[in-house]
Amino acid sequence: MATSNADVLQGTLDLLILKALSLEPMHGWGVAQRIQQISRDVLQVNQGSLYPALRRLEDRGWIAARWGTSEHNRRARYYRLTSTGRAQLQQETESWERFMLAVQRVLRAQPA
Amino acid sequence: MSLRTRIATRWRALFARRREDQELEEELRFHVDMEVAARLRAGMTPAAARRTTLRDFGGLERYKEECRDARGISLLDAGAADLRGALRALRKSPAFTGVVVLTLALGIGATTAIFTVVNAVLLRPLAYADPGRLVMVWENDRNSGTTREPASVPDYFDFRARSHVFSHLAALQPRALSFTPPAPGADAVQLSAAAVTKDFLATVGIAPRLGRGFRPDEDVPGAPAVALISERLWHSRFASAPDIIGRRIRLGDSSYSVLGVLPDRIELPEMPPGFGSLQQDVDVWLPLAATPVSSPRERHDVIVVARLRAGVAPAAAQREMAALAATLEVQYPRENRARGVFVESLPASLVRGIRPALAALLAASALVLLIACANAANLLLARTVAHRREVAVRLALGAGMRRLAQQLFAESFLLSVAAAALGIGIAALGLRALLALAPRNIPRLADVSMDPRVLGVALGIAVLVSMTFGLLPLFLARTLDVQDALRAGSGRSGSAAPAQQRFRNGLVVAEIALSVVLVIGAGLLIRSVWSLRGVDPGFQSDRLLRVQYQLPASRYPQSMAAFPHFPELSGFHRELIRRVEAIPGVVSASLSANGPLEAGFTNSFVIVGREAEAEHQAEIYIRSVSPSYFPTAGVALRRGRLLSDQDDATAPAVLLINESGARRYFPDGNAVGQQLRFWGQARRIVGVVADEKFEGPGAETPPAVYPPLWQVPFATVSLLVRTHADPMAVLPQVRAAVRNLDPQVALYGVTTMDEALSQSIGKQRFTMRLLGAFALLALVLAMIGVHGTLSYAVTQRSREMGIRMALGAQRGAVRRLIVRQGMRLSLLGIAAGLLGALAATRLLRTLLYGLTSTDLVTYAVVTSVIAIVSALASFLPARHATRIDPAITLRTE
Repeated sequence: MATSNADVLQGTLDLLILKALSLEPMHGWGVAQRIQQISRDVLQVNQGSLYPALRRLEDRGWIAARWGTSEHNRRARYYRLTSTGRAQLQQETESWERFMLAVQRVLRAQPA
Repeated sequence: MSLRTRIATRWRALFARRREDQELEEELRFHVDMEVAARLRAGMTPAAARRTTLRDFGGLERYKEECRDARGISLLDAGAADLRGALRALRKSPAFTGVVVLTLALGIGATTAIFTVVNAVLLRPLAYADPGRLVMVWENDRNSGTTREPASVPDYFDFRARSHVFSHLAALQPRALSFTPPAPGADAVQLSAAAVTKDFLATVGIAPRLGRGFRPDEDVPGAPAVALISERLWHSRFASAPDIIGRRIRLGDSSYSVLGVLPDRIELPEMPPGFGSLQQDVDVWLPLAATPVSSPRERHDVIVVARLRAGVAPAAAQREMAALAATLEVQYPRENRARGVFVESLPASLVRGIRPALAALLAASALVLLIACANAANLLLARTVAHRREVAVRLALGAGMRRLAQQLFAESFLLSVAAAALGIGIAALGLRALLALAPRNIPRLADVSMDPRVLGVALGIAVLVSMTFGLLPLFLARTLDVQDALRAGSGRSGSAAPAQQRFRNGLVVAEIALSVVLVIGAGLLIRSVWSLRGVDPGFQSDRLLRVQYQLPASRYPQSMAAFPHFPELSGFHRELIRRVEAIPGVVSASLSANGPLEAGFTNSFVIVGREAEAEHQAEIYIRSVSPSYFPTAGVALRRGRLLSDQDDATAPAVLLINESGARRYFPDGNAVGQQLRFWGQARRIVGVVADEKFEGPGAETPPAVYPPLWQVPFATVSLLVRTHADPMAVLPQVRAAVRNLDPQVALYGVTTMDEALSQSIGKQRFTMRLLGAFALLALVLAMIGVHGTLSYAVTQRSREMGIRMALGAQRGAVRRLIVRQGMRLSLLGIAAGLLGALAATRLLRTLLYGLTSTDLVTYAVVTSVIAIVSALASFLPARHATRIDPAITLRTE
């Protein structure tokens, strides 16, 4: 793997999955591809974290899964965002932005 | 997520794991395939694409595990894994597992067996409606110091008319009746019967299974003969015939019309001594047909059962009845002199005799369980400590205390469940042995069986207790100093943490203390039974047969006007003695209204010339006997002469007095020649005989007189037959002799007097044997504990021992070191146990004979036995310690 790639920061994976699924329902591989693609290959989703995360989110009721057929006519498990998931995404996005802003402020601080 | 889907998810997670795994696998495979396809598109060769994908992907199993964790199902899975792990670990050390399981199983088995009996005998509800309100209304006698005596019929009617605390009062009189079964040619059998007043069934709250109870007009003198029969009799003798109601059955010499069938479980308390042999098995119920004048007030021949009015406490009833008794005493100064009333709860009265023994046994079995648990805890602890380096490493690496707890929990769970399973088997076997050993007079014993509910409760408690002990090591692990444990080098030879060693020692001390309590209890009982066995019963019990019979009044009239001239009665009695004495192998035969070990009845009396003393005299036992009684039973003459056949109904009234009576009433030794008056007749004392035991070997023989049966005739008698050889061998000829004289007369109460004597201390023997077994078990378990703890200590200190030996320590010194450690534990345990025994053996007080619960000899013997046994138990590990090869132990570091 390219050295410029970063593993998805722990704790943000859930947020990224929710965001990816808010665009359209897709299967697990699709989620990983989409995150990698949007982040221009900066963010690599480790399969080892992806599927447990999907299970966890499903368990919390933020996403729902259903078996469907893929573009290559194969059985695949499709995930979609639920309405509680959408609310959760909203909330997590806001708190992430607040966090980023705070980090930025700190980083840009000048000596007094 | 809605509750429904949440539950569905949980359900899937928990129980549809296999499907869940398959789905995950399929999903992961899809992912891999997509990735491979993507890499192919990027220009890789198919083989390289697949290889690199799989490499990057890692193991499938890992994901499955992680996904399951994410699902929150880890706990259950981990539980299953723990159980599997525990099972593996236990299998790896079969000796350890075997000892722990067996130890616990013995404790659980003992407790369960005893609890099954206690439940059936003491706890199971009575068949009576609202039994808590049922009471016995006994009379008592201040002069004799008796507490439970029958009432008189007139007293009963006064109780009914003048008391306000009872909603119902019924009187009951035990009877024995011969019954001729309907089958042709069948021998008559003796049945236990009870005559009751019309409101008996309403009082106890029992409804007939079939038919009806007595109507008031059937409980009057001269009413047609009617009877109720037991379900047992209905099944066994009438093949459960549905048309039994209205049939006529033959009882004694009369025919009775059957009104109804009563359930079997009408339980009545043990009757006062000499008041019929009524036990639990009343088969026929008749109307008493009593009136306030049908029987004199001085004749105490009914027992009174009453139902308390709602809201009336037994104590309030006692107060009112005591006041009523005092009024009656004033009103009838002659008949009711010194008479009081004792109101006793009926359920308590039923089990009064056996409760102390069962309570003691239940406590003893609980102690055995505790000792077993302490032992198991000790063994588990030894293992935990042996693994403590492993535990410490895991704790240091961040393994949760919870995981450790789970593993211990899994182990002790498996051990307790295995022990419980084995314990059920032990309980079943134990119960069988226990029932075989039990004396026959324990009420409800026939109903004892392994009730699944009881079994559940007993096992639940047992498993709970043993698991609690199994988790004890956990609390110690908390005290484990991780750094210390890691630093200590190899866990095997490092010395155990002092806190743990202290705790383990504490367990052993407790085990020894508890077993000391049990062994002392058993010792006290063993000594009591020995003393009871050694008691001279005052008669010769060997080669002596007893059978009983009753002559029906219809063919053997006993009109009070003719007393004591009952020619038919005494004709039968005399002829039977003659015929039995003619049987080859018979030495002699005799008749008595009450034989050896039968208490008989008491009557008030007056010493002629000392009438004033009668006011405060206890009643005296009257034991009417044929003259051959004394040689046959082997009761010795002390002074004067024995009775002879000339002392018949026409001769001057005479009697013998026993030594106890002679001492009490004629302390100057001048009994012979004095006259006693009872039943309107002065009777001259012609001799003094030895005291024979008749209230059991443990009781002092009370004053008694022996009038000749021909002068004080009885229709219900015991026939004693002294034989040259086995007394049972002549029984068929004795039966034939009775049948030839009167085929309607049934024999009952057949026993050898050796057997009767041994039965009379049955309760003590039963308790002694069980307690002895428990004590032995406790001792063995405690010694396993001592041995185990010391062996472990030796292993722990093998390095130290090796160094000592290498430096030239003598074997003897090393041995002493270990034995001393063991003896310190056992002496502490013995000291604690002696204190415990002083308190606990009070439970046994009523079962002891000839010694007190603080008997010095027992305490001394038990102390030395336990000290010696624990010295032996310590010696084995000590010898092991001396065999340690310094070269080997030092090298293993």
